[in-house]
Amino acid sequence: MTYANAADGVPGDAPRDAVSTYERHRAELRASKRLWNIVALLAFLVCLGLSVWISQFYPERLANGLPRIFEYFATILPDLQWNLLFEGRAEDGRAVPGSLTFWYTDFWTYVALIWETILMAITATLMGAGVAFVLSFPAAANLAPNSWVYWLSRRFLEICRGIPEILLALVFVFMIGIGPLAGVLAIAIHTAGALGKLFAEVNENASSRPIEGITAVGGTWAEKMAYGVVPQVAPNFFSYAMLRFEINVRASSIIGFVGAGGIGQELNRVISFYSDDRVMAVLILVVLTVTIIDLISERIRLGYIGRENFA
Amino acid sequence: MLKIEKLTRRFGQNLAVNNANLQIPDGQMVGIIGRSGAGKSTLLRLLNRLIDPSEGQILFGDTDIAALKGRDLRAWRSDCAMIFQQFNLVGRLDVVTNVLTGRLYDVPAWRSMAQVFTPRERAFAIQALDRLGMAHTALQRAETLSGGQQQRVAIARALAQEPKILLADEPIASLDPMNAKIVMDALRDINKQDGITVICNLHTLDTARNYCDRIIGMQDGRIVFDGTPDLLTTRMAREIYGAEADEAFNEAATSTAIPATPAPVRVPA
Amino acid sequence: MSIASLSAVTEDQVAGLRASHPGAFDTPLRTLRRWAPLILAILYVIGSLWYFDFGRLLDASDRVLRLLRNFVVWQDMADWSYRQIYVGIAQTLAMAFLGTLLGTIGALGVGFLAARNVMPVMIVRQIVRRILDILRGIDSLVWGLVFVRAVGLGPLAGVLAIFVSDLGTLSKLYSEAIENIDRKQVEGVKATGASQLGVIRYGYIPQVLPVFISQSLYFLESNTRSATILGIVGAGGIGMIIIERFRAQLYDQVAFVVLNVLVLIFAIDWLSKRVRLWAIGEKHDP
Repeated sequence: MTYANAADGVPGDAPRDAVSTYERHRAELRASKRLWNIVALLAFLVCLGLSVWISQFYPERLANGLPRIFEYFATILPDLQWNLLFEGRAEDGRAVPGSLTFWYTDFWTYVALIWETILMAITATLMGAGVAFVLSFPAAANLAPNSWVYWLSRRFLEICRGIPEILLALVFVFMIGIGPLAGVLAIAIHTAGALGKLFAEVNENASSRPIEGITAVGGTWAEKMAYGVVPQVAPNFFSYAMLRFEINVRASSIIGFVGAGGIGQELNRVISFYSDDRVMAVLILVVLTVTIIDLISERIRLGYIGRENFA
Repeated sequence: MLKIEKLTRRFGQNLAVNNANLQIPDGQMVGIIGRSGAGKSTLLRLLNRLIDPSEGQILFGDTDIAALKGRDLRAWRSDCAMIFQQFNLVGRLDVVTNVLTGRLYDVPAWRSMAQVFTPRERAFAIQALDRLGMAHTALQRAETLSGGQQQRVAIARALAQEPKILLADEPIASLDPMNAKIVMDALRDINKQDGITVICNLHTLDTARNYCDRIIGMQDGRIVFDGTPDLLTTRMAREIYGAEADEAFNEAATSTAIPATPAPVRVPA
Repeated sequence: MSIASLSAVTEDQVAGLRASHPGAFDTPLRTLRRWAPLILAILYVIGSLWYFDFGRLLDASDRVLRLLRNFVVWQDMADWSYRQIYVGIAQTLAMAFLGTLLGTIGALGVGFLAARNVMPVMIVRQIVRRILDILRGIDSLVWGLVFVRAVGLGPLAGVLAIFVSDLGTLSKLYSEAIENIDRKQVEGVKATGASQLGVIRYGYIPQVLPVFISQSLYFLESNTRSATILGIVGAGGIGMIIIERFRAQLYDQVAFVVLNVLVLIFAIDWLSKRVRLWAIGEKHDP
């Protein structure tokens, strides 16, 4: 009990030397820690103040703006009528206002664009994961054959990862014109960087024993990677690539904002030019797609990991 | 004939192997003993060139092993098989593929990358496994096997290399007495029947006495004893092992001697 | 049985071993099955690139060269409006910081509402989760567009966009962290007779706080990236400047700004790593 008291800062009945020394050290430690906490708090407050000032995040602006958010959402709600909900097209080909058919007049356009979006995500993920796979071995500190290969591949991956994909898409749209190819390339480059870094980290955690085993039988560097490392890291690579695929579906659904293909192009168009139920129609489809892809991908990941028994 | 001349390896200030001189004729079974940190493991790794020597020469025939590079170095490693304390198998590959990795040096690059092995190579791998009594596990993942079984697979992998020399770095230190005996018997069998030189780091004295034609004692990186087992006196051995003498002489610990009453099964470390 | 060399293995032995250990030998079907995923992936990529009209990349070489030249050759640097550029960068940072902070504060509350072990009422939990799914399913760029329509051009829309999409993602991650905690410590606090809030304060918070902090710092980093592009839809920050300069074909300035952004992102990356180490005393990857 005496020790517990001392730890709480209550001196014992007979303060011995050890106790007083301990108390002194503890006080010093606490003082320096308190100092750091105050510095951190001040830094945080300064950042907060500056941010509020720079972004003009003032209560009156919010108070003015927030109601308009709800107004905006009111304008994009579809005007559906129960009795007309499942009304088909009239004989002259026009849909009846208030019916689902009217709301989703362009349904098949949307579906085609969403299909394109998913294809873009798959292609970009495969391409990016391929590059990331190849570069993850020289970019792992424990596997790189020499230091300049390591340095080069690390920097290359960092640059790929650092540039936001929308910016890359902007550049590609300029170079090769509007269309999904620009988006695929942009997302693939970003994926290569992001996955390459993760893959390299997985490689760095791989056990060195199998690698040493392959070295000892006279294997080349490539054989050491293929036999010593790849079997160890494959499940992690797979799972990271699937997670990236989920992210890429989201990315390719908005990359059309700069003209790089997919449903984003349509989304940008309807939000920018119309303030009506078409916005809601596209948004619902996008959210549905993203959610369904997430669910499927999670199933596949868990199924694979469960089978591979990987912790 | 494997000849080591003035072989030295430094790690910073520390001399792990200090001016070692040795001549090992073909077909000998050699045990290297000494306490932990005496430089036994470094010496074996120098021989396989898993680490590079700081000074000195390793001669096999007329070839200077210490100077080999690139493909020649890999050729040497494939001639000079190595068994590890922790087996160093690829846990997530199946057993037969693990054994086939022993052929990697001879397999052209495209085949090894595509994991294409000829039926003959596969048959050879099965034969090697069969010799260690492990052919029935050929399709299991290596990581599902027990320690003793993994070490036998590792020996099969070494056999698949068709080696001239077999190095074994503490092959039984992680095994229970039963498996330790199986592994040591296999090594002796390979040495006697195939005439392959076996150089084996051993922690326990009685194993070295039982299995080896020749014992080399190391202390602080130096070779302090070199001779047949009967020349190794108890006093000499006590000096080699120093503070670890009791442990090394304790027949029950990591020993191949199986007591008359069944020993409790030891959990591999 | 002595060791045979590989060359001594006879065809009969091969045939015999193939019969006794059929699984250890390749058959065409087995080889195909092993390579099928890779072959399919490659065929798919080739096919889809062809579908996406990959040939255009090859036709674009003159524009590529022009762009690259302009990226590297910087002209009239004295006339560039640096003030505007750095105000844009400051806005980007401010948006990322405020958005993450608000998202964290919001997620602190919502995360507990969505955690199975804290919120026993299934209906509430499910509703909260579905709303979070929707918030997450819509990209911050779309939220940016929506908020620009609501509160006008400028960084305020960006802050709100980051806040909303972070609220969705952080709440989900927080609720998962809360569900993964050690039950025993919670029971210890419950055993003292603490109220539900007391249990959360002393049983849950100490366990999940490090995870929360490190998640939020990761988000600060990735939000800096998102904030740079929010300007593309008019929601403030450096993105607006990038797209203006790009449309005006001032590619040298675009290159300059992008370089600045890269430095900024790497700096935040480094800083958040340091803060994470300082705040929770260890590397705590999610």
